[in-house]
Amino acid sequence: MKQNLKAAILATASAAVMATASASYAADSVNAAFFLEWASPNQIAKVDKAYDDAMGVDVNWTDFSTGVQMTEAMLSGDIDISYSQGLAPFVTAIQQGAPLKMVAVAMMYEANDCFVKNGLGIDASNASELEGKTVAVPLNTMADFAFKSYMAHLDVDMSTMTIVDQAPADGAVSLADGSVDMACIFGGNSSKAAGEVGTPIMTSEQKVEAGIGSFDVVSVTEKFATENPDLLRTFLDVTDEANKAWAFTDAQLAKVAKDAGMSVEDTRSQMEGMIFLSEEDQKTKFFGPDGVAAGAAAALGVVFSDASDGTSIAKTIDASFLD
Amino acid sequence: MLDWMSDNRAAIAAIVIFALAIMFISSIFIGKKQAKLSAKDAVFGDPERTKGGWYWSVCGISALLLVWFYFSWGVGRAYFPNAANEMCQVAKLEEAISPIKAALPLESRYYKSTTLVARNSDQLMQLQSQMPTAAFSQNEQTELYALISETRRLMANSSNPANLSLDAQDQLQVLAQDLVGLSTRLAAGPQGISPSAEALAQPRWGTTHIEIPMLPITERGVLFDTITLDAQELAARFVKIRNNPSQNDALIVDIKNRIDALKIVTTSGKFDEDVTTARKAYLKAVERIFKRLDDGIIFPAQSLEGINTAIATLDSAKNDARGQLGTIEALFFPGDGIVKSRTQCTEQGSGRWLPKPTDVVATFWKLASPNTEADGGFKGIPLFWWKWLPVGDVVAMIMPDWIADILPGEYARHAADGTVTPNFKDKVLALAQGDVNLGAVPMFDGHVWDSMFRVLVALGLGIMFGVPLGIYMGVSKFFKSFFDPLIELYRPVPPLAWAPLILTIFGIQDDGKIFLLFMVAFAIMVISARTGASGTQLSKIRASHSLGATNGQILRNVILPNALPEILTGIRIAIGVCWGTLVAAEMLAGTTGVGFIENVARTVSDYELIWVTILIMGILGLAFDLIMRWVITKTIPWRGKG
Repeated sequence: MKQNLKAAILATASAAVMATASASYAADSVNAAFFLEWASPNQIAKVDKAYDDAMGVDVNWTDFSTGVQMTEAMLSGDIDISYSQGLAPFVTAIQQGAPLKMVAVAMMYEANDCFVKNGLGIDASNASELEGKTVAVPLNTMADFAFKSYMAHLDVDMSTMTIVDQAPADGAVSLADGSVDMACIFGGNSSKAAGEVGTPIMTSEQKVEAGIGSFDVVSVTEKFATENPDLLRTFLDVTDEANKAWAFTDAQLAKVAKDAGMSVEDTRSQMEGMIFLSEEDQKTKFFGPDGVAAGAAAALGVVFSDASDGTSIAKTIDASFLD
Repeated sequence: MLDWMSDNRAAIAAIVIFALAIMFISSIFIGKKQAKLSAKDAVFGDPERTKGGWYWSVCGISALLLVWFYFSWGVGRAYFPNAANEMCQVAKLEEAISPIKAALPLESRYYKSTTLVARNSDQLMQLQSQMPTAAFSQNEQTELYALISETRRLMANSSNPANLSLDAQDQLQVLAQDLVGLSTRLAAGPQGISPSAEALAQPRWGTTHIEIPMLPITERGVLFDTITLDAQELAARFVKIRNNPSQNDALIVDIKNRIDALKIVTTSGKFDEDVTTARKAYLKAVERIFKRLDDGIIFPAQSLEGINTAIATLDSAKNDARGQLGTIEALFFPGDGIVKSRTQCTEQGSGRWLPKPTDVVATFWKLASPNTEADGGFKGIPLFWWKWLPVGDVVAMIMPDWIADILPGEYARHAADGTVTPNFKDKVLALAQGDVNLGAVPMFDGHVWDSMFRVLVALGLGIMFGVPLGIYMGVSKFFKSFFDPLIELYRPVPPLAWAPLILTIFGIQDDGKIFLLFMVAFAIMVISARTGASGTQLSKIRASHSLGATNGQILRNVILPNALPEILTGIRIAIGVCWGTLVAAEMLAGTTGVGFIENVARTVSDYELIWVTILIMGILGLAFDLIMRWVITKTIPWRGKG
């Protein structure tokens, strides 16, 4: 018995050594981060292992709940690529000196909504009545950025308002209870709850007209970008292929919904509100000389920290991997 | 004054660290000496022995501060204020040559080409074994096997040094020479180059939001900075070099045509859907590996040897040129040194997430400044200050609005001439809503006061309700059995779990936060009072009873004094736990408070602010605890002597 045990241990040990030996030269696996409940066409490529096939390495996907956590994971070296990190956490990470890079735009979508409590009778036409009211805002998120953009566009004096820092779920509850007059919300379920008792301050058309929108980025660590430009390029290629192949078919939706952990209906409605730009469009619209990306990043930088002028953030944008 | 201190924080830190080191060492000497003096006449376990001993406090605090200074790189910055700037210049060179290094085995053990060959061979092997034999005819299978071995030959051709084109050989050789040239220049030293005026005018390390000044401010730094420019150019040249052996040209065209031919057959419509998909997927996989091999990034290992040696030389030249900077870095900058990213140099390791004590003090002063116009305080509210509190607001808080509603009569309407004349009912409503000027009283204001107010009110309520209930639970069967299950049921639930409920019940004002803290304090007070009451010695109660004491007298004069030590210890614990719960309570709906600052700082990873809030909470908790200790010694001097 004892002999058997010894043999078994030896066998396991040698197997482990062999496994590491064969793994060491092909050790490069790529670690990517994504959000649950945030659907995108590339999840088909993710499920079908198209990334693994095209890049020739294992792509390990880890889900995160906030973009700040993605940053921390990239800084500790556990994550190489963050797909659809919010612009806000990316910008704050850069301001804290994180060695990250924006290499592409993951998706464009409507700016987060600020819901005004029904019964107050306030909309975009008489928004100045919001002065002196109480607003729930998750500070330093894209919803915060949207809130500030709305107020600037509608010419409302923010200094007269009481701004309460609340997570979206809490903000929706407070709006329902009437303890706040307006709540800025992100996330499907919280938006639905806030929509029950409130109305967005600006409609989708008004937002487009005012040029208020959001986008998520693909960010990578600088180390990964310098050491594996080929892998990064292939990653973006596969993403682009998946975006182009997206046609809202039932099979596609079912696959994405399952991976995103949402119902097919929710997935459909969420994805209908998103725009997935082709690489060409990204290059012309976002990363061109007067591109949106640099401007938005700089504007956000100023919003979150008065000390920086925002221009240094534009330097961390590198669209060369889209070629 | 403050600006001067802020600009010279490195020098100040140098003096402080020196003083701390002296304090640390001398306190140990004093402590040892004192211990020797009292060693003979003390009995082990005697509580009196723990009295005094300030020198050990000094020893502990200075040790803690020294550790903090060291791991936050405060020591390094104090004594080597230029080191970060020099390390940044070295990091620049490091970043510049990283594309070349990534292809070499210096840091990743294998040549990148080796990795690629191994990875692609593995995949070809897998493809070979996983061929969907049902989807392809016998002939096609042979053809595919042939294609796979052709693809392998592509790799073999690229790996053979004999096939390397003269052009590529030339380029690699020149590059290696240029790299050696860089090493020579590094070894030659600065040779009279001096930092520019612009560089010297930069703000110092850590004084603005740009952590480390980027332009070189020392001769050695300038040397590295100039070399970096050339290194960048060399790296750009290196990544453009391709190995496309002429033997591969025909092979590539051939493989491509043969894959295309198979593709055409696949899409001709002869096969049913399943077979077509299987064929397409397989052909795509083959084509993918083929495409990865036709872009010439695999080099013979031998051909890169020159570059490898050149980079190793450059590395050692770099280490030599760093001189004593290498030792300083190893000794005073624990962590991963300084890393250059695209726009800035940043500290890595503990230097990144542990702010320097002097920076924390500077952030604290900025936060503590009551001048909110000039960027003091946080979000427009000072840290701890005073303001005029209108008495009307206090009245409005106590007086509910419905008092005006139940008065007889109607509220005023606006008259035909556009004026509104308020009647008595309106005036009462105005009073209830705080719209009447009743003068003002000075009142504390600011984040710290708001937090302190919440904690103190919650604690006060907890003592008010908890102590009587606890004492009655200690003496009465009814109280004990009725309340015990209720309290024990809710006590273990973490306060954060209540948060959503409390938000719905109480809303976003102070009452919800106070209630959350109250629940924490209440349970602790009940349990400590109960333990104190039930621990009263029976002999004392019997004695007072036999002396004719009434129930009330026994409670007041025997049980309460006996329970007091436990109750006061309970208060000490409750204060600590309340401060601990404050961050959660102020997360519910953050408007003011120390926990609110912490929550916002967390979303932007502002470590300095996070540490300031941690310290504020710690110091406030300590201050309260010291007050409680004083109260304990004053009110129950008999503790431990009964």
